[in-house]
Amino acid sequence: MPVITKDLVPVLVNTGGSTRVDKAVAPRFRVGDHVLVRNINPAHHTRLPRYARGKRGIVEIDHGVFVFPDTSAQHQGEKPQHVYSVRFTARELWGPGAAERDTLRLDLWDDYLDLVV
Amino acid sequence: MNGVHDLGGMHGFGPINPEPNEPVFHHEWERRVFGVMMAAFGGGHYNVDQFRHAIERMGATEYLSESYYEHWLASMETLLVENGAIGKDELAARQAKLAGKAG
Repeated sequence: MPVITKDLVPVLVNTGGSTRVDKAVAPRFRVGDHVLVRNINPAHHTRLPRYARGKRGIVEIDHGVFVFPDTSAQHQGEKPQHVYSVRFTARELWGPGAAERDTLRLDLWDDYLDLVV
Repeated sequence: MNGVHDLGGMHGFGPINPEPNEPVFHHEWERRVFGVMMAAFGGGHYNVDQFRHAIERMGATEYLSESYYEHWLASMETLLVENGAIGKDELAARQAKLAGKAG
């Protein structure tokens, strides 16, 4: 079992233990792609909020490759994949009562998304 | 999991009142929870996703009524018992001792 050492402490405290993975994994999407968030309701851990499920957005940034929280939380492996900043309009998320110019960005994993063609 | 932690878009929780000059810790026990959490994480007892999931597995009432570092403590208790690092009885005995209820 690993042991925390004195030199590890500032790294841990300052980075919060990033789950970025140094692996070449092909991205499924490119910046500018229109994506549809999957309507999934797993009983286990996920970083996909309910309010985004079934909604359409646009990939704005490719953050790189990270551990997939849904499998990692269940001791089922890292399943490394790309994470994207996806932009949604407030109206897509909250309906016609939302302000027209408001937008929201969510960091979403490859496995949460499908391409809108 | 569709738990009570997934608060985005929910109404009725009242205003958010940011505290001016908020301290890093409001109580000494929070500082200790932070340290123990980092030590157990760095020691390989859990990863960040297991840690978050264990917070989400808290009872809904406890989740909504307890503070940020109480969530951390609840998660550590769950995970350290589950991986066998501490016994459930051992934890209960320690809690009782600290509460001044038993030896």
